Formats: sequence, C-alpha cells, structure tokens
Amino acid sequence: MTGSNAMSDEQSVPISCQVNGRNHQLNVRPEESLLSMLRERLSLKGTKEGCLEGECGACTVLVDDLPVDSCLYFAAAADGKSIRTIESLHAEEGELSPLQQAFLDHGAVQCGFCTPGFVMTLTALLEQKKAPSRTEIEAALAGNICRCTGYRQIFDAVFAVEKTE
Amino acid sequence: MKFCRASSVNEALAYLGEWGADGYLLAGSTDIMPQYNSGDVAPSALIHIEGIESLSLITINERTSIGALVSHSRLAADKEIVARHPALAKAASLVGGWQTQAVGTVGGNICNASPAADLAPPLLIADAQVTLVSTSGERQLTLDDFFAGRRQTARRSDELLTTIELEPLPNGSAEVYVKLGRRGAMDVAIVGLAVRLALGENGKIANARVAVCAVAPKPMRLPKVEAALTGLPLEAVELAAVGKTLVAAISPIDDNRATASYRKRVLPGLLQQAVCQCAEEIQK
Repeated sequence: MTGSNAMSDEQSVPISCQVNGRNHQLNVRPEESLLSMLRERLSLKGTKEGCLEGECGACTVLVDDLPVDSCLYFAAAADGKSIRTIESLHAEEGELSPLQQAFLDHGAVQCGFCTPGFVMTLTALLEQKKAPSRTEIEAALAGNICRCTGYRQIFDAVFAVEKTE
Repeated sequence: MKFCRASSVNEALAYLGEWGADGYLLAGSTDIMPQYNSGDVAPSALIHIEGIESLSLITINERTSIGALVSHSRLAADKEIVARHPALAKAASLVGGWQTQAVGTVGGNICNASPAADLAPPLLIADAQVTLVSTSGERQLTLDDFFAGRRQTARRSDELLTTIELEPLPNGSAEVYVKLGRRGAMDVAIVGLAVRLALGENGKIANARVAVCAVAPKPMRLPKVEAALTGLPLEAVELAAVGKTLVAAISPIDDNRATASYRKRVLPGLLQQAVCQCAEEIQK
C-alpha cells in the first residue's frame, strides 16, 4: 500500500479534511486523486470511477458544497475542505434523502452506475435553488452522463422533490 | 513528484524559483490531471495556488480586473461581469459542465492555451491585458502577445499570471460569444467566435472587434475582418464579402471534432449569427 517505502513517506502530503461530517487526518500521495482517496483509503465506494477525464460525472462529489469531478481533483488539494459523498445523504436509520427517494419512485435508476454522480450534482443544485427550471437542471447536469438514457425519469424525480418541499 | 501549497503570491514565486519549468501551477486541476494521467506532462512538483485569496478578486473600475483564480462559475454568474462582459459570462457558462466550471479558473484556461479555449475570444475582444509577476518585477502583456502558439504562452517559468484587465462594453455597443459544438453540452469548441460591435449615429458599424478560437494554432483577433465590418450598415449587413475575408484569415486543421473545410464553411454563418445577435442587443 501507499507509504510503504521511504521515498513515498518523504513525498506524502499531510492533509486535514472533513468527509461526510467526520474529520480526517491523512497522508496522501502527491498524484493521488480525491476519487482514489475516497474509495481506497476511506472505503467510500459509492463514488464511481468512470472516464477518469472529467467527461462523465460518475465520480461527482461535493467540495465545499460545489460539485467537482473527484477523478480530476487532487486529494492533496482537499486540505481544509469539506467533502460530501453519496454516503452522506441518507439518515442514520437508512432513510433516504427526498431526492434519493424520488429517484427510486420515478425509476430514475437503471444500471445505477451514474446515479451517485447525478444525485450529488442535483443535491448541490437543490441546495442552491429550491425550484430549478428545466433549463437550469439541464445546465447543471451537462457534466453527468447516463448511458441507459434515463434522463427523463431523472428530471421527473427532480420536479417531484420540488413539489414535496 | 512533490506537492507544494502556496498561500501567497510570494510563496508561489518562491516555489517557481525552486522548481522552474518542472513546477506546474495548479488551481482547479481540471486540465492538468488528464494530462498527468496520460503521461503528457511529468512535473517534478505541483504548486497548488488555489488558496491565494488575493487572486480570487473581481475589481470594477474604469477597466475590469479579474484575478487569475476566478472560477468559470463566478464569471458566468457575477452581475458585474454579466453586465460589462456578457460574451465572457456566456463563454464561461459553456466550458465543460458544472463540475469543471466550479473549480476551473480563468487563469488556468488561458495559461493552458488550448487553441479551443472558450474564454479567449471574449477576452480578446475586451482588449485583455495580463499581468505576470516574478521575483524580478512585473510586466503586462496583451493577451494576443501572451498566446504564443498551440498550448504555448509567453509566460516564463518563474512567472505567475496574477490578473487580467479588460475594457468593458461601452454604451451603445453589444457583444456576443457563439460556439459550435457537437451536442450543445460539454463541448470542446469546433469553432468559437466573439464579436463586439459599436453602432455609429448613422446606423453603421462604427467599431468592430472579432476574435476566434479553434480555427488556428492559437485564439486570435481578426483585424482584417474587423476592418471589413466597420462602416457597414448594421441592419441587413451583407456578409458575403466579409465571409471571404474571414475564411482567408484562419488556418484550421482536421481533427477528431471536425475537418478544416467544415470549419471554413460554418464560420461565416456563425459571424452572420453573431452580428445579428449584436444588432438585436443594440436595438433593445
């Protein structure tokens, strides 16, 4: 694993960040992505690795409330930041967030691989704007790709959340 | 590889002094991470400058000063930028998706110097000047001089780009950015075009500024096209002749987005579209 030889110890970067409300002190590799840190170090496997070049949005997490592609974000750059992943959304007892529940209710999940990314981007959008328009949702989702072509159901889910809140 | 965190301009300059060309400046990292992963770049050090607060400011005076670390999201949403630089705000909203716009910076967009950089044409029509700072002083360059070629700039390896100064849209003028992509989202431009027009009292174009991206090794102003537009009646501009001047001024290539001949065919139409949009704006 990382840090197993003198060289990488010397070059490892100490960071302090909050992930899903918990403080973490970690030593990360300089080239390590936030995605890799979340999945491999913290075992938060809800965030998915897709294209690794910022095209698909499957790895979207929130950094200080803004959606970022965690595959393009250096773990070392997360020092001092607050990070939220899909694992942060449901309540302790397992109750889903209204958006997650709406995804289920409207069949907005097909293979499910893109879903955590979509849900995180839309969570950020709904935190900024209670009732976004179709155009605003489209703009927000430009960087999230669903290859099962489930966009319509995803829009339905967002509109349903708007109505219930 | 080392990861160095700079929280002030002086700290960043010290790291640049230490690492020279092997030190890569890093802000939003949306461009550098794919290049690093594919082995296109192999820096000895990453110099993370995102925390330099003095470079995140937008200052409004006679000219507009934009810190290098201002994100695309902020450019697209900032009321002053939308009012004074509508083409820039529009272009910023068309760079990648929200994930890229949230962290990608204006300084990164121009220092990366992609031929298809969306922010470049609207910055060029605002007569953008960039400030480069090093331990031996600072200098200002026009953005046109800053772009040296495909993915090349005039920035020395000991210099940090700190701010971009712009001339705002004057009264009675309008500007637009039009972009052709493949699907209207997440596009790298096939062609991008910014136009700023000023209307004279006689209903003719008194001043024209035109800049393009993705049709030459670097984004650029097109002075011959600007001259050809000047003096034409804004209503019903006859663009056939201007279109020829336009096509003669560019040197597009075939790539995986489009062929050179396609780019030459669509650009005159985009100019027509841009001029019409400017005319509508001015007459509002």
